[in-house]
Amino acid sequence: MQQLIDELKTKIIDTLYLEDITPEEIDENAPLVGGDLGIDSIDILELVMMVEQDYGVVIDNKEVGEKVFASVAALAEYIRDNRPQTADMSG
Amino acid sequence: MKFKLIYPRWAKLARQTEFHLPPHGPVVFAASLPEDVEVTFVDENLQDIDFDESVDMVGISMMLTIQVKRGWQIADFYRKKGICVIFGGIAATLHAEETAQHADAVFLGEAEGKMEQVIEDFRNNRLQKFYNALEAPPAIETVGPARRDILNKSLYNYRGIQMVDLVHASRGCRFNCYPCAVAYLGGRRFRPRPVDRAIEEIAGIDNNRLFLVDNSLAQDTQWEKDLFAEMIPLKKNWCSHPIEDDPAVLDLAAQAGAWFVYQAVFDTSDYIRERIQRYHDHGIAVEGTILLGLDRHTEDFIKRLVDFLLEIELDLAEFTVLTPFPHTRAWDRLHKENRIFSYDWDDYTADKVVYHPKQMSAERLQELLFYAWDSFYADKPQQVRMFELFQKVIRKEKANGTFQPRDRNLINQAFGRPVKR
Repeated sequence: MQQLIDELKTKIIDTLYLEDITPEEIDENAPLVGGDLGIDSIDILELVMMVEQDYGVVIDNKEVGEKVFASVAALAEYIRDNRPQTADMSG
Repeated sequence: MKFKLIYPRWAKLARQTEFHLPPHGPVVFAASLPEDVEVTFVDENLQDIDFDESVDMVGISMMLTIQVKRGWQIADFYRKKGICVIFGGIAATLHAEETAQHADAVFLGEAEGKMEQVIEDFRNNRLQKFYNALEAPPAIETVGPARRDILNKSLYNYRGIQMVDLVHASRGCRFNCYPCAVAYLGGRRFRPRPVDRAIEEIAGIDNNRLFLVDNSLAQDTQWEKDLFAEMIPLKKNWCSHPIEDDPAVLDLAAQAGAWFVYQAVFDTSDYIRERIQRYHDHGIAVEGTILLGLDRHTEDFIKRLVDFLLEIELDLAEFTVLTPFPHTRAWDRLHKENRIFSYDWDDYTADKVVYHPKQMSAERLQELLFYAWDSFYADKPQQVRMFELFQKVIRKEKANGTFQPRDRNLINQAFGRPVKR
């Protein structure tokens, strides 16, 4: 799980081209949107696409989206529980 | 010589998400000015006009009828100060006589090749009241790239996302649709630009996302095919008005980066259903433009039409009511039948009923307009649908390697104004 969380931190930085932020600076339990990272609803759109492409997990519902993107830890948990079994390597 | 070009403000459509695209008329006009004229531009939708700035001449560019009263107000102010004001653009042409009462000169039609004379007349203090280029439009080959450099690009940006840039590859229209003034403005002869000139301009625009604002691209099959074929290597994504309903053309359009089209949906026929399906089959999304209030439209028809739009899975829909703009067939008919009850141009927003519809009261049509917006977006709101359309273009760009990330320096601004996130 921690491996997936660390991987997601890097992917978030890469996907959103967040300059001056390192994975270590992202608190996996802090709110992802509206927090210190400056992530907004448009960024979430790009993260939805990244999650779909890289993990095969589709998030197509606003309510689910709000829960899933509550924090990096929540996102990791959702991916772990919903990704296709064969691709589940990170535990 | 200092020339200040002004684009008057107007109120946007009720219920439509507010957005601002860089205006096209002013930048096309600016390209027609002689080189020694120094031009500055103000889009009053996004900036305040500095009335104290010292200028030699003011140009007021008006596209929409709802800009004219504000345009006249601005002109009156400058003329009281003794500054010469010239008007041009679509709405100035449609409202030329009234506009002349607030102007030193009104330019009708397309400006290429004509502005040298106008500026010379101004310099020699012999400006004419009207310059009419409607009968003799410039040779289409002489249309060069628009002067997009006069725009403040950062204003046309929503939280770091750059809006599309506008460009046109043709003028005129061989159709003469009931609500449209293009037949009067641009003539009924379709005038495509030479493909190489259009491509040269498109290639030079520093934006991956464009809006081809041609009235309808579906007018000359071979030209359309040639244009799309030449656009493929440019890797732009673009929206446009209708593309020809021909599988070979649609296929080339898709390869050339067709992202979505604005397509009029006027009935619930199988033809429309299949037309929309063919766009979708080619990966092209459709924003329906739905005009309500034609003489055959009953209340039942309008309700059925909205259900139909959901059935055929339109990606977005924009609803307006028939508005009898001057120099349209709709105007001729409704004016002649004494059915127009408001001639206040500020009411000509296309979301206010200004005439007596045939099948219902004006009030009922007004209610049905809002019914249409609310019903279409009830299950999937406008913002979600716009996000889906936006995702579509990001996917295309990531696939062809042209994706550019948002400008994070502008993330706290929408159209030049601060936003809370």
